[in-house]
Amino acid sequence: MSKKILEVKNLTVHFYTYAGIVKAIEEVSFDVFEGETFALVGETGCGKSVTARAITQLIESPGRIVRGEVYYNPDGERLNLLELPDEEIRTIRGNDIAYIFQDPQSSLDPLYNVGYQVSESLFVHGRVKSIKDGIKKAVNILRTVLLPDPERRVSNYPHELSGGMKQRVTIGIGISNDPRILIADEPTTALDVTVQAQILWLIKEMKKRYGVTVILITHDMGVVADMADRVAVMYAGKIVEVAEVTEVFKNPVHPYTQGLLKAVPNPLKKIERLETIPGTVPSLINPPSGCRFHPRCPEISKVCKEKIPELREVKKNHFVACHNR
Amino acid sequence: MAELKKFLVRRMLTFIPTIIGITLIVFAIAYLIPADPARAWAGGEKASQKAIELVKERYHLNEPWYDQYIFLITGLIKNEIIDPRTSNPVMDDVGKRFPVTFQLALFAYFFVLAIGIPLGLISALKRDTAIDTFVRIFALIGVSTPVFWLGYILIYIFFVNIRIINLAGVPPSPEIVITHVPVIDSLITGNFELFRQHVARFWLPGFVLGFMGAGVVARFVRNSFLEAISGDYIEFLKAKGVPKLRVYRHAMKNSLVPIITVLGLQFGVLLSGAPITETVFGLPGIGLYAVFSIGTLDFPAIVAVTLLFALVYVIANLIVDIFYAVIDPRVRY
Repeated sequence: MSKKILEVKNLTVHFYTYAGIVKAIEEVSFDVFEGETFALVGETGCGKSVTARAITQLIESPGRIVRGEVYYNPDGERLNLLELPDEEIRTIRGNDIAYIFQDPQSSLDPLYNVGYQVSESLFVHGRVKSIKDGIKKAVNILRTVLLPDPERRVSNYPHELSGGMKQRVTIGIGISNDPRILIADEPTTALDVTVQAQILWLIKEMKKRYGVTVILITHDMGVVADMADRVAVMYAGKIVEVAEVTEVFKNPVHPYTQGLLKAVPNPLKKIERLETIPGTVPSLINPPSGCRFHPRCPEISKVCKEKIPELREVKKNHFVACHNR
Repeated sequence: MAELKKFLVRRMLTFIPTIIGITLIVFAIAYLIPADPARAWAGGEKASQKAIELVKERYHLNEPWYDQYIFLITGLIKNEIIDPRTSNPVMDDVGKRFPVTFQLALFAYFFVLAIGIPLGLISALKRDTAIDTFVRIFALIGVSTPVFWLGYILIYIFFVNIRIINLAGVPPSPEIVITHVPVIDSLITGNFELFRQHVARFWLPGFVLGFMGAGVVARFVRNSFLEAISGDYIEFLKAKGVPKLRVYRHAMKNSLVPIITVLGLQFGVLLSGAPITETVFGLPGIGLYAVFSIGTLDFPAIVAVTLLFALVYVIANLIVDIFYAVIDPRVRY
């Protein structure tokens, strides 16, 4: 197996709101290996996006990274990203670790044309001398993300492009500095199904071409099956299961993962009817004691209410946080 | 550019109905008022019947209302109407006083911008801190302070106690007239002594008049900047690795549209606030003139002043519209 390019250890982020402290993610740990596609899966509000953003300190007030380390290991170095001062983490963002966000409609500044915005991402990392110089490179970047007619499109404003085109532009911005890690935060959620397929294909293509490591955040198990090498399943701010993608679909171990897979059509198993997980996602202001899944778990025992389960390796490369396994 | 020209022409054409409408409303009010302007103009209670008849004839007061309206408006435009109070052509009086008011409004506008925008930005950047609270209280005070009260307090401080301002007359205009605004003309022609005199006479009334606007603008700048900075594209800019100042620049540009709307409206607010300020500070501007005209039922003068204010207002809004189109590519013109 190749080397770990990113190690996340005990990452904890809290949001200090008037209603109370929202414990958005708690003691989240995982490793990402160079060249793989690592998927973070979970339902809305489980902390996927917060985890992804916390990696480069992109947490805004009232949120705060309370604990944890994020080690980024480019060639021969080992940097704790959470300890870097503002200016240094800025040079990592977009340059080493780039992002694509969920909603391309609102990711782009409506007042600047797309050429400017692509060129700007080159300019702020010192790859071109001025925004104007970068426009030519922007045309080439937009060509690689298969934006039709890029020479003309560079002078278009975001409102003149379709959703799919805008997402191509944001992917172009993402890969413009040839990053080591691309974090795609629900890149297809806001798009039509046909466009989703094109965008996923494009991300795979970019991965092949640039050898970039992809961290894919999604709630769509279909996208996971299509894209991911390894999967981490999150529930209520905690990682409950980490394994390779086929392992997760074939032999899910954690009760939550099992319930989740029963709720969607599974290409590897014949399912008569889809089931739901009873109950709702808990409030993260007062999360359940012990295992956060225990109020909804079909296999609850006494220890589940008292002790927080740790991630344990139940099989080779298959980690689960559950007392009963 | 051709499109911009078309847009301008189209907007200019919409001026005409707007201004006709405004003058009609003012004329209707003057016409319906249960007063006898002819008697007032002929000399009040002791006026002879003959003089009253003469006045009525001269100002077409016996004709139906539309004749009167057309006579008044065309007369004002051709500058043929003689003011019954001052015996000068009405537009001459207005033209003499308007630069004073316009200059006062410019000084006030300077304070609106110089106080309102920085305060709003500081408040937004230091959101929910003591500074923010202070600025918001200041803005509230600014919005709710009456001009005459603030004016007299500051006169008491600067005129009565410190004695660094004067309240009499207006410095002369420079000999070379370019823009008809003395303070700008004296600056352009390099007459710095005169420039200093104008600044010395106008800065305090300008501040008083602009104080309320500064509060309004500070609030708007704060809110629209905060709204812009919480946009998703701002987060994407940070994720792109854009430095802080550059991020602020994006946010600033995005918050500009509502700010410019308010700034355009503020210019009109300043003009309508001018009469009180001019009265308090004894400036012979058009506001003071309008107040006198109202007191003496001098309708031609009132309509003339309204016409002028309406023009300024409409032009200010035209400039705002042009700014929209320049800032925001989504605005179609």
